[in-house]
Amino acid sequence: MRRLATLALVLAAACTSHGGGSCSGEYCGTVVFAALGEPVSLLPPVSSHRLDRDIYDQIFLKLADVGRDLNTVGDAGFEPQLADRWSWIDALTLAFHLDPRARWQDGRPVTAGDVAFTFAAYADSALGAPDRDNLKRIASVTAQDSLTAVFRFRERYPEMFYDAVYYLRILPAHLLRNLPPTQWRSSAFGRNPVGDGPYRLVRWAPGESVELAADSTFFRARPHIRRLVWRFASDLSVAVTQLVAGEVDAIEVLASPANLERARKAPRLALYPYPGSVIIYVSFNLKARGGAQPHPIFGDPVVRRALVSATDRVRMARSVWGGAAEVPPAPIPESWTALWFDDLPVLPYDTVAAARALERRGWRVGPDGIRSRGGRKLAFTLTVPSTSPPRRQYAQLIQEELRAVGVEVAIEAVDNATLQERLREGAYDAAIQAWANDPTPSSGVPELWSRNGGGNYGRYWNPAFERWERAAVTARTRQAALGAWHAALRILAEDAPAIVLASPDNVAAIDRRIINVRLRPDSYWAYVRDWRIAPDQLIARDRAMR
Amino acid sequence: MTGVPLLPPVLVLAGVIAAVFALRRQASGAAVRRFFASPAATPGLGLLLFFVALALLAPVVAPYRPSAQLDIVGLQNQAPSWRHLLGTDVLSRDVFSRLAYGARVSLGIGVLATLVSVTVGAAVGAAAGYFRRGTDAVLMRLVDVGLAVPKVFIVLVAVALGRPLGAVPLALLLGITGWFATSRLVRAEVLSLGEREFVEAARALGARPWRIIARHVLPGAAAVLVVSATLNVANMMLLEAGLSFIGVGVQPPVPSWGNMIADARDVLTAAPWISLFPGLAITGVVLALHAVSDGLREALDPRARLGALPASSGEVPQERWLGGRVARHREAR
Amino acid sequence: MAAWLLRRVAAALAIVFAVVTVAFFAMHLAPGTPFVPAGERPLRPDVEAGLRARFGLDRPLAAQYVSYLGAVARGDLGESFSQQRPVALALQEAIPNTVVLAATALAIDLLLGLAIGALQAAYARRRLDTLLTHTTLFVYSLPTFWLGLVLLMVFGQGLHWFPVGGVTDPVLHQALSPAGRALDRLRHLALPALTLGLVGAAGTARFQRAALLEALSQGFVKTARAKGLRESRVMLAHALRNALLPTITLMGLALPFLLTGSVVVETVFAWPGMGKLAADAVLSRDYPVVMATTMAAAALVVAGSLLADILYTAADPRVARERKA
Repeated sequence: MRRLATLALVLAAACTSHGGGSCSGEYCGTVVFAALGEPVSLLPPVSSHRLDRDIYDQIFLKLADVGRDLNTVGDAGFEPQLADRWSWIDALTLAFHLDPRARWQDGRPVTAGDVAFTFAAYADSALGAPDRDNLKRIASVTAQDSLTAVFRFRERYPEMFYDAVYYLRILPAHLLRNLPPTQWRSSAFGRNPVGDGPYRLVRWAPGESVELAADSTFFRARPHIRRLVWRFASDLSVAVTQLVAGEVDAIEVLASPANLERARKAPRLALYPYPGSVIIYVSFNLKARGGAQPHPIFGDPVVRRALVSATDRVRMARSVWGGAAEVPPAPIPESWTALWFDDLPVLPYDTVAAARALERRGWRVGPDGIRSRGGRKLAFTLTVPSTSPPRRQYAQLIQEELRAVGVEVAIEAVDNATLQERLREGAYDAAIQAWANDPTPSSGVPELWSRNGGGNYGRYWNPAFERWERAAVTARTRQAALGAWHAALRILAEDAPAIVLASPDNVAAIDRRIINVRLRPDSYWAYVRDWRIAPDQLIARDRAMR
Repeated sequence: MTGVPLLPPVLVLAGVIAAVFALRRQASGAAVRRFFASPAATPGLGLLLFFVALALLAPVVAPYRPSAQLDIVGLQNQAPSWRHLLGTDVLSRDVFSRLAYGARVSLGIGVLATLVSVTVGAAVGAAAGYFRRGTDAVLMRLVDVGLAVPKVFIVLVAVALGRPLGAVPLALLLGITGWFATSRLVRAEVLSLGEREFVEAARALGARPWRIIARHVLPGAAAVLVVSATLNVANMMLLEAGLSFIGVGVQPPVPSWGNMIADARDVLTAAPWISLFPGLAITGVVLALHAVSDGLREALDPRARLGALPASSGEVPQERWLGGRVARHREAR
Repeated sequence: MAAWLLRRVAAALAIVFAVVTVAFFAMHLAPGTPFVPAGERPLRPDVEAGLRARFGLDRPLAAQYVSYLGAVARGDLGESFSQQRPVALALQEAIPNTVVLAATALAIDLLLGLAIGALQAAYARRRLDTLLTHTTLFVYSLPTFWLGLVLLMVFGQGLHWFPVGGVTDPVLHQALSPAGRALDRLRHLALPALTLGLVGAAGTARFQRAALLEALSQGFVKTARAKGLRESRVMLAHALRNALLPTITLMGLALPFLLTGSVVVETVFAWPGMGKLAADAVLSRDYPVVMATTMAAAALVVAGSLLADILYTAADPRVARERKA
């Protein structure tokens, strides 16, 4: 019946007096992605939300991009994008030579002036780009001539090149120069961007979809897939339903074993597992709610370690993710493979030892099975976002597990806006967090665990940890860096400021007719421009032309 | 979770007792016969009693605790079997046990919300109808505002309160937002009854207004109230299910039929039983309540004109927003 | 009569004003920060402070309220926090979607409900009637969101007869002929409209059956029968017409609620209408959109009830007399 309906549509299309024929050959193809939510703005410095980045990374180019193995140290692991070559003038100065073929979609050539303008925009405090902090070690970017952009750094460190290229999507100065920074967020450009990348924006239908079309004059290879459509869905189960029904071609993260099963059963879908970049953990608030005193329960490291020991993280991960997640030895995602040291002191699952430790600290079991000490119950509230099924599941699993050792957990499922506010103000006891990481630990680890880290809501602070972490970020050799990371993660394991729950595998489901598919954990659709659909595999929506 | 509290089933009993008490005058033999003659009333009553019994006897009937996670790896999403009559859910909890305890929560919330809304509605409606003029105008404008508030407001208030609501606060919230229609009904009854001689007589004898209302006027309106209340319970249950489905209703791990369906969304095709049974349960109770209310209407006033137009303006039926039903109330002029 | 009307209109305006005020303070006093989409990292404090300042959220609440009222009086509904564009545009796009869904659902409701009700009245107390009574009772009791989910699973994913969500096909719609586009829209509209319409039709059928039976027992019908008119003519010409009026009036009263959008159905089917817009806005604290949708909804409800009052007054002369007094 579905085929009949599609046939009817195609016939209707064929009998049209509407003009537009049918596409055939190598450069056809429409890929429909399922997107959760809707983009905020397609103007890069304004928004670094994942969906927005997925889309504008097809429209705008970076100077160079990190390679498939995500080697962020030095410059050998990077592939030219907008710049076709670069050279180190001295230890603190890096010059990029832009590809002279690069053009903006309105025809103007891309110049080094655009690069300098872009850096100024990203670094502008009035604009408030989320990635601003990551660029603080770059002192300036100047245009030496129309095709050479020179970056000057404040200090020497291993990931200078990464910082220079990873965050900046080069913007057209001639179109944005006269726009005051306070107006960037709501500017029309954000809904109708002009870029230099392989795709350009065709249509943004609010509440429905965003459509990009391939730029056939793109100076690198012409993309084979002619059209990219992001279709908005309000939640993952609806998106997976659309995927299985054939209305959507690709979802980057299936997330739950149930979805995996559904995708596996669909004959036209191929599954692509790739290392995940998200960590899921229970963050303990080490300070009393909103105050400066240590938290009555979580201020004690012995209690924290006991709570970690009391949870069977491996089994819970199996329950929530099927086999599709690992329990990391420290709060690190799968994509940081080098940091998965074998010898980090992971607390084993041992309820007996946990109970003993709690007893030693004076938490005695009461008549209702819950421990208390000096009139205070060993009870806390675990806050989770109501929109995340895996985290809600974890909350209920943890609640049961901790009850077995005499800890009472009350679950509070709040909506996202409330959760953010609670975290920022420290108005919580424990919360289950999910943090998506960049390819390099140099930004992720300090963000979560150093004193001024933007994501350190539990207000963890250990000066020894910070010294090692700093050493790791600035180490000159890979060996030295790994050694320092090892020491830093060791301290984290001992301090146990969090229960590290899982780093899920990402499994993407993509329609089988699309070939030459590669996925990168930090930017799922980075290689879409290389994807192809064989001419004999084209379906109705691949062929439909306007 | 310390177990679903005993309060909801006590409320259910309280509600039933209140209804019976209110109807004691009208419960003649003929009325009872008419009730059972109504086509769907008998099976409806039976079904209702079944669910109420399930709710009351949950601790006895349920083989497992509702929050017991039996084997988080091995027993997830199991199909119905002899060990688990209605299967298990994603956290390996027994669906039948959760359904039984969930009956307490869903029915309890429905009844408590109805008790609140009927009480407040009756008080406001009676005052407006008896005192008329100034009081009437003010109260009815208040009711108009209440009826005009769009129901997304309930979501708003629920979210605005910051902390997720427990079952009892949720029921109170639903009750407070649902009394408006009832007040209109009672007002209409009181208006028509207020003209009668016995009221005049009581007033002449110097009886106080509230005494008159309570002893003479309200019992006359009892029939309307009870019929309206049964429909109200159904609506409140549907509202609660919708709210829990969106995520602002009853919080886990407390089972409510609404949040059981919400939890099962991801596994709808892989494990349809997890959402099928709570859905059928809600349908069953709502169906039973409608059948019973039909029977009550037949029994208490067989000449009732169902086609009567509302007498006072803006008798707005309850919303379909979260799945509530358009309540066709009879209203006397 | 005119005085009564004027008073009602004034009261209506006052009601909308009261609702808007309550909504404003409830929204602003609710915990939670706007500007952060779900699942994303929180904003840096300085970035958020800048955004708050830009939208005037750091002023005292009373000042914000006054300036909001002033803006609305000028016709400026503000700018959506999550969509970076004027609220009026967002409403402009959402309202037609809701209207289409509501109108279709209402059509299904009315046509199917009337047909079934009439059928039941014609075969009153016989087997068909009993069967239909039980069926309509069952359908009427289904939770709407659950019915929607089941229909989506069975007909959308299972049998592929209908598409899964959305208003139009995101890719093919543009390439179709006008006829093809209409068909595409109908296919997307079918399941959500059926979900709302079936449940409504069951209710209408129940009501219509009772109303028809009552009309059929009236004196004028007996007269018509005595005059020898055919049963079907009796039914159609007299009984149906009499029973239609209350049904229509009740439809009119239900319309505002359908127009404010059924949140759950729109969410299940990803239908970008007013209900979904409002619910999403509440959850993401998009204050301007919440205010605008609340205002629109309150206005619709009040206008609908006013219209129903007017219709009723026109229909029943006794009430008109009462109003004059």
